[in-house]
Amino acid sequence: MTTRKVGKHRSAMGRREFLRLSGAGIAGSALLSACSGFGGEEEASGSGKVIMSHGPDPVLEGLLKKQLEDFNAQHKGEIEAIFRPMGEDYFDQLRTQFQAGGGDIDVISGDVIWPAQFGANGWIDDLSDRFTEEMQGAYLEGPLGANQYQDAVYGVPWFTDLGMLYYRADLLKQSGFSNAPATYDELFSMAEKVQSDAGVRHGHVFQGSNYEGGVVNGLEFIWAHGGDALDTEDPTQVIIDSPESAAGLETYRGTVEAGITPEAIVTFTEPECDAAFRNGDAVFMRNWPYVYGMLLAGDAEIKLNQVGVAPLPAGEGESEGFSALGGWNLFINATSDVKDEAWELIKFLTTPEAVKFRAIEGSYLSALQETYEDQEVLDQAPVYEVAGQVTDQIRPRPVSPFYGDMTLEMAEEFNNSLKGETSPEDAVATLQESMQGIIDQGTS
Amino acid sequence: MTESATGVDTKPRAPGGLVRGTLRTLRNEFTDKERRLGYILVTPAIAIILAIALFPLLYAIWLSLQEIIINQSSSFVGFQNYVDMIQDPDFHSALINTTVFTVLSVSLELVLGMAIALALNRAFKGRGIARATALAPWAFPPAIAAVMWRLMFQDQVGGGILAYLIRSSGIYTHPILGSDSALIVAAVLVDVWKTTPFMALLLLAGLQVIPQEVYEASRVDGATSWQQFWRVTLPLVRPAMLVALLFRTLDAWRVYDLLWVMGNRQLNSLSVYVYNGVKISQLDFSLGNAAAVFVFLSSIAIAFLFIKVLGTRAVD
Repeated sequence: MTTRKVGKHRSAMGRREFLRLSGAGIAGSALLSACSGFGGEEEASGSGKVIMSHGPDPVLEGLLKKQLEDFNAQHKGEIEAIFRPMGEDYFDQLRTQFQAGGGDIDVISGDVIWPAQFGANGWIDDLSDRFTEEMQGAYLEGPLGANQYQDAVYGVPWFTDLGMLYYRADLLKQSGFSNAPATYDELFSMAEKVQSDAGVRHGHVFQGSNYEGGVVNGLEFIWAHGGDALDTEDPTQVIIDSPESAAGLETYRGTVEAGITPEAIVTFTEPECDAAFRNGDAVFMRNWPYVYGMLLAGDAEIKLNQVGVAPLPAGEGESEGFSALGGWNLFINATSDVKDEAWELIKFLTTPEAVKFRAIEGSYLSALQETYEDQEVLDQAPVYEVAGQVTDQIRPRPVSPFYGDMTLEMAEEFNNSLKGETSPEDAVATLQESMQGIIDQGTS
Repeated sequence: MTESATGVDTKPRAPGGLVRGTLRTLRNEFTDKERRLGYILVTPAIAIILAIALFPLLYAIWLSLQEIIINQSSSFVGFQNYVDMIQDPDFHSALINTTVFTVLSVSLELVLGMAIALALNRAFKGRGIARATALAPWAFPPAIAAVMWRLMFQDQVGGGILAYLIRSSGIYTHPILGSDSALIVAAVLVDVWKTTPFMALLLLAGLQVIPQEVYEASRVDGATSWQQFWRVTLPLVRPAMLVALLFRTLDAWRVYDLLWVMGNRQLNSLSVYVYNGVKISQLDFSLGNAAAVFVFLSSIAIAFLFIKVLGTRAVD
């Protein structure tokens, strides 16, 4: 559980969770989440019935329900879209279905980290013929790039996600700070001062648990200090063992050692963070845009006018921070027998109007460039203003068909490092060996 | 043995004697018409049992001897998967966690279960209700129990009551869910809470078949209550104890749901290791299979050990 010397390729403690757990409570809610689909009657696929799936996201589900009703009304008698909600183990369920011959879901929503793995295995269709280059041109580079793998494009971006720094503008002002921190050094000193001035419980919270969100957060710290996991030129080369990466993890753990972050950060996922922040228990928080939608609703202790949002800070000696690209895409199952109908549904869900609807109603970030210039969206979903500033600083997580195994290793090592059980240098050295081992094993 | 003891046959038996004897018996079995018919008649039943019980097992072993990457090639690699598994640090942590969990939880459950069984074995008013209530925790589905206790052990949202009590009493001041060793201890406590009643019930059944006369006789001989417990109750309850310990130890050895949910997928055990290999990882299917066979074989070994050690003493 602590250090590992052999470059053996697995983590037994990893887990996979979805980045977006908007509105969900902690562990219990996963079990309690009601699993009822909507749309038409669910029967065996075929004859114009298109089954679509997505992981747990109550806010999005509400918006999707409305959109599917419109779609079904438009295509009455021809196509019927049916939504199937999936649990927190969405990825495992999908993979089981694929391995068992494909399953019956036609339109699959998928995380930005899945296309390489699903595509390389032939589980989802290459959409190059349908998703033309002209259509692709309307998208932001990052979210589109996540769907491209080896000259093919496997999905259409549905909505995108990126990490942002939320801060308590009111408290910062009280302590004499006028701007959000640009570097981690500034963040540390500001957090300490505001914590003692205003008596706030935590200075900075982020997602430090041993799961996919922890990988995202760890990578963001590494990127902020100039490190990276895979060589972008040659993604079969792991380059994580560098002083820059170690410096990133040093700062990661440093938050706990400085006392601005609670020790329990090693179990924090999104809901713990937004709960702390919305209760007024945190000065800074790294999170996804969904928290903005929650603050818009206005039912929390902390109101939107007390909050500011900024790009993630840079590490020492670096000019800017980076945020990890999140978000979801729509794929077509390779074994679907209603592919044309499935494509109709995908087109419907990704029109500028559909995207705008989700942006205004739920602060979901568009992957289309034009939405960021739409005045109506900017007025009604203020998160777009900040998001528009950081679109150049988004980075994808390592793109590899073996990301699924690599991420378990990173989740565990980043978490051990955050716990202080492994030194940053040991963590990146271990990862260098185990991740390279995975790539070598997978490509041999 | 008896022959040489009486001095009739002092020559050591030829090594082939046993085989020849067996062959002769077999021949006798099948030359008899009626016996042969009997064998023919039970053959289908035996074949079905073998197909049901043995085939999946042999298939699992066969799989564990191959290097399989899902959707890619597979090739025979002999015992390489087992070698890899034994060298895998995650397998070590799984083995250690499972052993600690099993030893701690089963021994605590045995002691507490025995105490409860002894109490419930006494005649008192409301005994029926007391027995039913004692079983309540056992009726919880493990995953639900794990979620419930995890909420009490966490110190974030709302603040779990146990996390608060433990921290303010100074026993452990770090976040419980943040440390694997603390989590194991917590999981042991939850398991004890949940399955002690089951242990008590099995022991109680054993206590109830001990005839009252034995106690009366020992009392006549002047035995104290303590002596009665050690000399009368314990030896006579041993068969029931064997069954209870066997069930619990094997259950604990294969623990999956409790640790998976309590540790929010991060706490390793042998079964968790198997699941991670077979289901989560894309590359470790074979390793997971080897571990599955290991869990199966080690469970048999544990069962065998229990029957051998506790079973013979019970006969004495």
